[in-house]
Amino acid sequence: MIEVKDMHKTYFMGKIKVPALRGVTFGVQDGEFLAIMGPSGSGKSTLMHLMGCLDYPTEGEYWIDGREISSISDDRLAEIRNQKIGFVFQQFNLLSRTTILQNVEVPLIYRGVNLRRRRQLAKEALEKVGLGHRLTHKPNEISGGQKQRVAIARALVNNPAIILADEPTGNLDSKTGQEILEIFTDLNSQGHTIVLVTHEKEIAEYARRVIELRDGRILKDEVVV
Amino acid sequence: MILETLRIALRSMTSNKLRTFLSMLGIIIGVAAVIAIVSIGTGARGEVTSQIANLGSNTININPGIQRGEGGRISRPYTDIFTLELGENILNYSPAVKALVPVGQGSALLISGSTNIRATVVGTGPDYQAINDYYPELGRFLQHEDLQQNSNVVILGSEVADDLFGSGDPLGRKVRLSYGNRTHIFTVFGVMEEKSMGLGGNFNAQVYIPITTYMQKVANTRYVDSYTAQAGSSEEAKIAVGQIEYFLTKSLDGSDKFRLTSQDQIIEVIDQVTNTLNIMLGGIAGISLLVGGIGIMNIMLVSVTERTREIGIRKALGAKRRHIMRQFLIEALSLGGIGGVIGIFFGRLGAVGIARFGGWAPVVSVVSVLLALGFALLVGLFFGIYPAYKASRLDPVKALSYE
Repeated sequence: MIEVKDMHKTYFMGKIKVPALRGVTFGVQDGEFLAIMGPSGSGKSTLMHLMGCLDYPTEGEYWIDGREISSISDDRLAEIRNQKIGFVFQQFNLLSRTTILQNVEVPLIYRGVNLRRRRQLAKEALEKVGLGHRLTHKPNEISGGQKQRVAIARALVNNPAIILADEPTGNLDSKTGQEILEIFTDLNSQGHTIVLVTHEKEIAEYARRVIELRDGRILKDEVVV
Repeated sequence: MILETLRIALRSMTSNKLRTFLSMLGIIIGVAAVIAIVSIGTGARGEVTSQIANLGSNTININPGIQRGEGGRISRPYTDIFTLELGENILNYSPAVKALVPVGQGSALLISGSTNIRATVVGTGPDYQAINDYYPELGRFLQHEDLQQNSNVVILGSEVADDLFGSGDPLGRKVRLSYGNRTHIFTVFGVMEEKSMGLGGNFNAQVYIPITTYMQKVANTRYVDSYTAQAGSSEEAKIAVGQIEYFLTKSLDGSDKFRLTSQDQIIEVIDQVTNTLNIMLGGIAGISLLVGGIGIMNIMLVSVTERTREIGIRKALGAKRRHIMRQFLIEALSLGGIGGVIGIFFGRLGAVGIARFGGWAPVVSVVSVLLALGFALLVGLFFGIYPAYKASRLDPVKALSYE
């Protein structure tokens, strides 16, 4: 259902070409738990932006749910992000002035869901991550681990095809990080497709398949037993 | 969706109240100026129009022209041209003139018992009443017989009557009128109604005597000071001005010996003054609105920069360009709208204050309020477009990594 075909991404710093991805090919099946690993500069952030439909590849194809995205419009891309992709960031990226419930509602707003249904779906998503009781708090009133749970609820709320998590434990202590990773494991066992981007081997170990990137190419692509 | 966006906009505005207020200041001043201008314009015009109407309707004043000073002579108005006969001839040869009265006036001392006051003595005829829309409250006004007989009849203005006789009945009382070095005894035959002070001066502080008496006994002259003519309508007044001009130019051999002032001309001059004032104040309002708009644009650009990351997050979560655009436009519109409402409040306050000062009723019309609010919203919209567009075009990857 996700197909990456010979994908290249080159950035231009003035006249200097900086290749970030130099031909990457792989597929992701429904229900997989995939980790993308590599040191900084390996191209994993670029790959995650492309998989998240935040950017267009310079060359190659990207198929998601039967749709190729390298030639579709900005607004169609926004729609795909909204409906097919759930993001979880290292920095949490919650909207600081709004409550937790409203944060989780944001993707539903852009989807055009009415207020009552929005409230209900957002509450359900928050209950799934164990935060059903803190709906009216603002992000600055809760802990880092709780923030990341809110972000996961927000990623889940539109029932996306994949959940993309970029270093989701990077800003958390190891115990809280473990709890977050367990949530991902749970979600995966419920059928959600999860792509975890990280540079830490121990974290990648939670996944059932690991792709290792080095200098914009795939170094290893193996299933963890 | 719109409601949601409005809530987001309000939240972001209230998160920095001082900054929001400062950026709205231009709009506030602009809108307040619009409201105040329209109110002052309407109020002042109404006031002036009512003062003009007070002069009597469709009147034309005929005054002597100004003589050029030559050799040892000082420039001053001609005093030896306007006779009673000339006045009658103007009336006879100008069909559009319905009525005409001669006016001669001077300052005299009025004495009754031990009280004396200085007042303007106006020598005139019976038509003075209709022309000035000014009638006696007690007794009667001057009559033709008074003029024919050079009678010593005096009609008092209301203030003069008060000053001389207080609450007593002035009718039939004798008044001594001292003019120059001679004194005459006059009998009071009437007291005029009170007339509000207008452009014609204070009628209430004058006394009225037959023009013939004034010329022959009091001022000892063969000439009157001016004529007041009246036409049947404002259209006829224009025709009358032409006819009088033609007749006087012919009979006086030149147009520099008289001056005509019609109400139309007065209204025109006042309109010009009001227009100039309106253009000036309108300019101030326009500039403040422009500055206000730039203020809004400035703060919106700052806001877009500050919230780059938020825009990135929203885009990642599926916001399309139009969603982002709408969010910032609504914010700019809210700035304009709220600034407009505050401006209307201050504008009203200003209008009421100035109206009190100017002595007319404050008029804040719905039209001017809607106009001002419309302008404020328009300015907000117009100056919000660029920042909103800029926000909507942000690259999500760059926006997300913005610190």
